[in-house]
Amino acid sequence: MINFKNFIKDKIYIDLYLFISITLISIMGLVFLYSASQGNTETIIKQSFFVIFGLFLMFIVSQPDPDFYKNNSAIFLIFSLVLVLVTLFFGKEVNGARRWLDLGFFTLQTSEIIKVALPVFLAAYLYDKPLPINLFNTFTTLVLILLIVNLVRIQPDLGTSLVILIAGLYILFLAGLSWRFIGISSGIFILSLPFIWNNFLEPFQRQRILTLLDPNADPFGSGWNITQSKIAIGSGGLQGKGYQMGSQAHLDFLPETETDFIFSVIAEEFGFIGVCILLSIFLFILLRCLYLAFDARDRFCRLTIGGLSLLFLSTVFINLSMVVGIIPVVGMPLPFISKGGSSLLSFYIAFGIIISMATHKKLMQK
Amino acid sequence: MIDLNERFSEKRNFINRLIFVYVFFGVLFLYLIYKTFSLQISSYSDYELASLENKTREFLVQPRRGIIYDRNGEIIVNNKPSYNMILDPENVDDINELIFEINKFVNLSDAEIKNINNIFPNKKKLNREVVLKRNLTTEEIAKFEVRNYRFPDIQIAERYSRENLYPFLFSHSIGYVGNLDEEKLQEILSSQELESNETIFTYSNGFLNGKTGIEYVYDEKLRGLFGKKIYEVDASGRLLQEKQMIPAVAGEDIFTSLDLPSQKVAYDELNNRRGAVVAVDINDGSIVTYVSSPSFSVNKIANGLTQNEFDELINDDDKPFFDRAAQGRYSPASTIKPAIGLFGIDNDILDWEYTIQDPGFFILPEDGRIYRGWKKGGHGEINLKDAIIESSNTFFFSLAYQTEIEELRAHLSNFGFGKNVCDDCFMPDNGLLPSPRWKMNTHNFGWFKGDTVNLGVGQGYINATPIQLAYYSAFLATKGNINKFSFVQDSKNANKNIFNSKNITNIDWDNIHESMIGVIESPKGTAGRLRSLKDYVIAAKSGTVELVSTETKEDYQIIRETEGKRDHAIIIAFAPMPNPKYAISVVIENGESGGSVAGPVAVAVLNSLVKND
Repeated sequence: MINFKNFIKDKIYIDLYLFISITLISIMGLVFLYSASQGNTETIIKQSFFVIFGLFLMFIVSQPDPDFYKNNSAIFLIFSLVLVLVTLFFGKEVNGARRWLDLGFFTLQTSEIIKVALPVFLAAYLYDKPLPINLFNTFTTLVLILLIVNLVRIQPDLGTSLVILIAGLYILFLAGLSWRFIGISSGIFILSLPFIWNNFLEPFQRQRILTLLDPNADPFGSGWNITQSKIAIGSGGLQGKGYQMGSQAHLDFLPETETDFIFSVIAEEFGFIGVCILLSIFLFILLRCLYLAFDARDRFCRLTIGGLSLLFLSTVFINLSMVVGIIPVVGMPLPFISKGGSSLLSFYIAFGIIISMATHKKLMQK
Repeated sequence: MIDLNERFSEKRNFINRLIFVYVFFGVLFLYLIYKTFSLQISSYSDYELASLENKTREFLVQPRRGIIYDRNGEIIVNNKPSYNMILDPENVDDINELIFEINKFVNLSDAEIKNINNIFPNKKKLNREVVLKRNLTTEEIAKFEVRNYRFPDIQIAERYSRENLYPFLFSHSIGYVGNLDEEKLQEILSSQELESNETIFTYSNGFLNGKTGIEYVYDEKLRGLFGKKIYEVDASGRLLQEKQMIPAVAGEDIFTSLDLPSQKVAYDELNNRRGAVVAVDINDGSIVTYVSSPSFSVNKIANGLTQNEFDELINDDDKPFFDRAAQGRYSPASTIKPAIGLFGIDNDILDWEYTIQDPGFFILPEDGRIYRGWKKGGHGEINLKDAIIESSNTFFFSLAYQTEIEELRAHLSNFGFGKNVCDDCFMPDNGLLPSPRWKMNTHNFGWFKGDTVNLGVGQGYINATPIQLAYYSAFLATKGNINKFSFVQDSKNANKNIFNSKNITNIDWDNIHESMIGVIESPKGTAGRLRSLKDYVIAAKSGTVELVSTETKEDYQIIRETEGKRDHAIIIAFAPMPNPKYAISVVIENGESGGSVAGPVAVAVLNSLVKND
């Protein structure tokens, strides 16, 4: 008789810790979004579809052996690169930005796909290079990263391009970039900041940075978003105003409640206690990823788990820092919670890959 | 394929780096938690307040201003309702159709329609009232009322403007109201711990505050307290629902001591001549008559004058805005003589038996300068009583010559000269009770004995306002026992004068009263022609203020060609004797004779007061 339990263990690859916590946070996300969208059922039905489909996708993605991703990473990267280029020319323009491909049933934000494909490719490219990584490999990697970052930046999508840059740099760093190189290039970066400020930032981006430094300088203009976000969070207090009772969110004081500023809605309605519970779940997911990276079967898996988990960490961190006013406002969703299919799906795929790498290790040892 | 040792060192290297990044973010996360904590816990109350302020908007509800009554309970100043047609725009989609429907029974001018069309979109967006038509007539209201079931979004709202029922009689005593400036508004609001955000001040007649007179002095009482309507609003400022309504507290009504009939008499008697009348009830110092002439319409001022009307008032040579009663400075002239006489008594310089020879002039021993009386040849041998009745200058020149200026000043100050004698008058002038130091400071000259001599007949530097002269009159009437004046006398708070005399007895006071009765009743009295104008006894002292010093009557005839150089007529009086109830002062500029020009006005006002009691 076939033991059902063993069958599952042998044939199905699933990390229950990640699967349960991600499912939990996705459901919480739907609850939060319902309030943040002022009870818009259409939004919730659409988002629920993405969550269910995303969880399924995560499960599917975690089934193949990690070698599948290692061997095909270049194909994935080229595929997503083509999508980005197509978007650049044929994308749907919204508010002066060309970030979306209209697929009829779904508008895909292509930069979200390459956000995952690039770290996987870099991990596959660097895993067997001798340590420390030589200058040639460093430079080819950097050129690739900057090329993709720039393609996304000119859409323009500063937030995502920033995350892609960070994710790429993580892989380089984790793969063993020499400390000397890090030191020298950091120095050059800092020195060239004024140059970047003057040549690479749009006026509105500069304004956002200035606003961060002094949001009270223009509270009804560029400082409005961050001022209202702080009021929403602060007025939530310890226990919050209650579900769907946030006046900042429901009387339209808070901008972008469904996407960038959804954390402010949560903080307003559930207070510091709610914030702590939410952050604990994020923390649990991250610590689980850290453990899985320790435990990974080879260098490729370690690099990929490390890179993708840091990608997740950075996204969460940038979003939260933005809404509490630590960093300037950049478009950045809160993973698994903000409205938006592309971002959701990209993180389900990323965690699917992580689970694949975590679960296939034991079988190989057998 | 890969050597095991290298793999181990490589793995350690990777783990170290990953932990490094995690620790780095761990620290940032702690900062994030700290930041959230400080927003939600440490600064909670600030942000809670900010959130509350975000979503609420307060509208001030205007209080009704207090009504002002005269002492008989007659309304002098009231609030006059005006009616405006107000639209609640929330459920209105086609404003033009609505205007068309209204226009069938209430005529809207092109300008009004244009204005409604201009403001409507924004008002609708924010859900604010739209004023369709102001100041509806009763006919228009009636026409609307029978059709109002067809216009559920329209209502007739009542607003108030200020109306003085006797716009010329009380211009200076009660004064007028006007719109407030921003600074005053802030002051009023902060006194009630209110903030100005959106208010009704731009609406209709707006909020009024007192600018002069009683309206100004008692503004805080009259004004009342603002109420509030608190609405919930969304980010675009749209009103969602009324959360709370705190009703306004109407202003207190003011019951003044002013007496409408005597006020009318005084105003008619002055007949637009430049001058003033002030009369008081001597029992408590309450002002019953207060007229400055010429006057102006306070209603016109409060409700807006045309530029022409305003220029006319401002440029009028008779200065109708000028409150002569409180601010006009006039020499007391001969009316000061009873006070000077009392100084002589008090300081044992003379008694009632004491006489001098009056040749018609006084020669100052120091420099031989001559001070003339009004009667050529003088009054002969004369005592204090007759000197008052006949108004001998020589007697008082000679008496004043024997005084010390500082002592005389202190004495006159008791009678109200040189000080504020009124608790609630609007911007009263203190007149001038001159001193050697004052003269040195302003004229850079020392005090001459001649200055004191001039003071003895109320001429020279000394001057007083009609209020002060009325106070002086009341002081004489009550034998030094008079309250500080007020329009709203509260006997509990009354400020009784304490007069410390050294030697003045009740007999002396009676003699003063008798002398002043003699001014009218005695055959030799200077105001004898008033005798037939009344049927009770009045004590009085007239005066004639010389504006230009002349040597002879012929010289004065030349001077009086110019009206502005003619003498001022002045009189103080109290009645009915022997138990006086009212004291009065009358000044008529360039009226020439105190007894025969100012006197009849005083008698007419006293008649009204005494007979109506």
